[in-house]
Amino acid sequence: MWVYVMATMLLLFPLSTRAQGNYEIQVYGADTVEPKNLMVELHSNFTPEGQKYVIDGVYPTNHQEHETLELTEGLNSWSEIGFYVFTSEQAGHGVQWVGDHIRPRVRVPDSWHWKVGVSLSTEVGYQRAVYSPDTWTWEIRPIVDKTIGRWYFAVNPALERTWHGPDVKQGIGFAPGATFTYDVTKQVNLGLEYYADYGRITSPDTLHNQQQQIFAVTNLNVSPKWEINIGVGVGPTAATDHLIVKGILGRRFDWGHHSAVD
Amino acid sequence: MTSAAMAFNGARRVAQTPALPADFTLDIAPYVFEASPRRRYQTIAYNGQVPGPLLRMKQGREVSIDIHNHSADAEIVHWHGLFLPTATDGAMEEGSPMIVPGASTRITFTPDPAGFRWFHTHTFAGNDMRKAQYGGQHGFLMIDPADTSGQPGYDREVLLALHDWGGREMPSSDGSAMPDYEVSTINGKMLGFGEPVRVKQGERVMMHVLNSSPTEVHWVALAGHTFQVVALDGNAVPNPHTVPMLRLAPAERVSAIVDMNAPGVWVLGEVRKHVYAMGMGLVVEYANATGSPKWTQPQDLVWDYMQFGAQSAETASAAGTSEVIEIPLTFDSKFEGHGNAEIWRINGKSYPEVESSPLEAGKRYRLVMKNLSADDHPIHLHRHTFEVTNVGGKNMRGLRKDVLLIPAQKTSEVEFIANHPGNTLFHCHQQDHMDRGFMMVFRYA
Repeated sequence: MWVYVMATMLLLFPLSTRAQGNYEIQVYGADTVEPKNLMVELHSNFTPEGQKYVIDGVYPTNHQEHETLELTEGLNSWSEIGFYVFTSEQAGHGVQWVGDHIRPRVRVPDSWHWKVGVSLSTEVGYQRAVYSPDTWTWEIRPIVDKTIGRWYFAVNPALERTWHGPDVKQGIGFAPGATFTYDVTKQVNLGLEYYADYGRITSPDTLHNQQQQIFAVTNLNVSPKWEINIGVGVGPTAATDHLIVKGILGRRFDWGHHSAVD
Repeated sequence: MTSAAMAFNGARRVAQTPALPADFTLDIAPYVFEASPRRRYQTIAYNGQVPGPLLRMKQGREVSIDIHNHSADAEIVHWHGLFLPTATDGAMEEGSPMIVPGASTRITFTPDPAGFRWFHTHTFAGNDMRKAQYGGQHGFLMIDPADTSGQPGYDREVLLALHDWGGREMPSSDGSAMPDYEVSTINGKMLGFGEPVRVKQGERVMMHVLNSSPTEVHWVALAGHTFQVVALDGNAVPNPHTVPMLRLAPAERVSAIVDMNAPGVWVLGEVRKHVYAMGMGLVVEYANATGSPKWTQPQDLVWDYMQFGAQSAETASAAGTSEVIEIPLTFDSKFEGHGNAEIWRINGKSYPEVESSPLEAGKRYRLVMKNLSADDHPIHLHRHTFEVTNVGGKNMRGLRKDVLLIPAQKTSEVEFIANHPGNTLFHCHQQDHMDRGFMMVFRYA
């Protein structure tokens, strides 16, 4: 019986390992953190309705609570470096360390006067095999954004590569993200975020087997020091966790010495 | 009246231009401005120079000025700080005619009051940060007093104009958009690219400093020296005071005497490091001094209007005790999205919807200005001089100005006598703010 269930699940969710990526659910903007500033963000993501079975030794995502600490330090006016600590909490497993990533990023300086914001991020890291069979991964993420009046648009056509794990021979995968939001007031902004993983860039998966997530989100601009993002997302395809609730709470710390004349 | 109608009036004045030469001529024309060999900007200038020519006039003696507009846009010249009729003040909102492209006009007026004034374009820039006050149309206007007794003694005058160039709108963290500049200059040159100011030991130099920046407040210091401030906005201060640096909001002027008692080669520059790095500085060189220019970086920004006000009730304005009619004005902005500059409002409305009770000639009015916004605003009252009576909650008397920087989220007050009938424009002198509604017209009954 178990063999039958597992075979069925593998047919239905051949890429389910990619759905383990719900630790940092965020479409990046092109801006970088200012130099001598540290951005501390806590990403809290809960999956009320996700994968319910252990597949290839990977824990199910259903009812997993992911807490990710992200620390980003501005290096200069056009670059930053980020560091992630991923954790997971789940009944029967308790709180577990999942892995760490490092993410340097550069952007087009303001002095170039481009019409859109453009930056390039690359992320390298390790995650334990019980949370992702691909234990070493690399991502390169171009970022383009633009604010027009009350509207904001950002696109992240990310490319992924597995360095160690079952997908190491898959080559480069395409995992874009995008968002558009609208400033309802100075403090409240509403919008949609889209995340996808199409599989191999040269041979995309069928829609059924792709990851597709859409989040309704709000960003609360209560202070330049704080970042608050709350969203609820649905995954309509078979390879996606079907319901996720996410939140990001960020606080900017300025540790530079600033005199009035700086 | 629409601007098109105003322009037509200006064009009609061409036919009325007399053949006799005027006292002064202003040619408004395209000009390639060079802040340094690597920083050039296409702009519009007066008489092919930035800043424009120094116009020196005698208080009370009528002058005529021919203005030729060779630019592609309708233009108007505002005579900032003078008590002029609405037709010649140079603000279409008051009724002054525009000068259409290719047209010429002659204006005549009798300059008053005496002091350090200036002239500049008073047009709309909108999103084009090369136009209006973002460009090079500004110049010094010196009105010598009819009665020269009581004037401070000095050996020479130096006129300095602070300006910012290459602006573009950048989103700021507080949800608004702010102009950001590439280059900052004194008298049209970046530090190291202009002629030094040459002085002699023992001289008393009168420095007339104008901030003609479209939007930016500037602090300037002269390394090794201090400034004795004797006039603000061209009006003698009740209490001349020696300070280490000057602060000038857009359109403000400071006249200060510098005792040249520290031989050497020095830099007069912007105190804030990032603006200094953008070029705002010039060299002050003593006769026979050699070596590299020295700059001493101040560590704080120091300025307070209060120190120049009257020191006691006896020296305060006598008019301070007369009946005063209060006009409450509240400044705030309307959010237009993080990618847009906000719309500015006075009493909840933007120009031209802002309303005010008519002024009665001869009466004294107090503008109680509550600044609810997060920005300081350099407010300017046309055709009148006001007395500053409260800055950010601190009472003072005796300081007469035509521009005042109103601190953010505080209330400030000025008083003026309605003694120049006619429409009177009141506005924030930041080009981007006035373009986005921060203006109103006081009308006389």
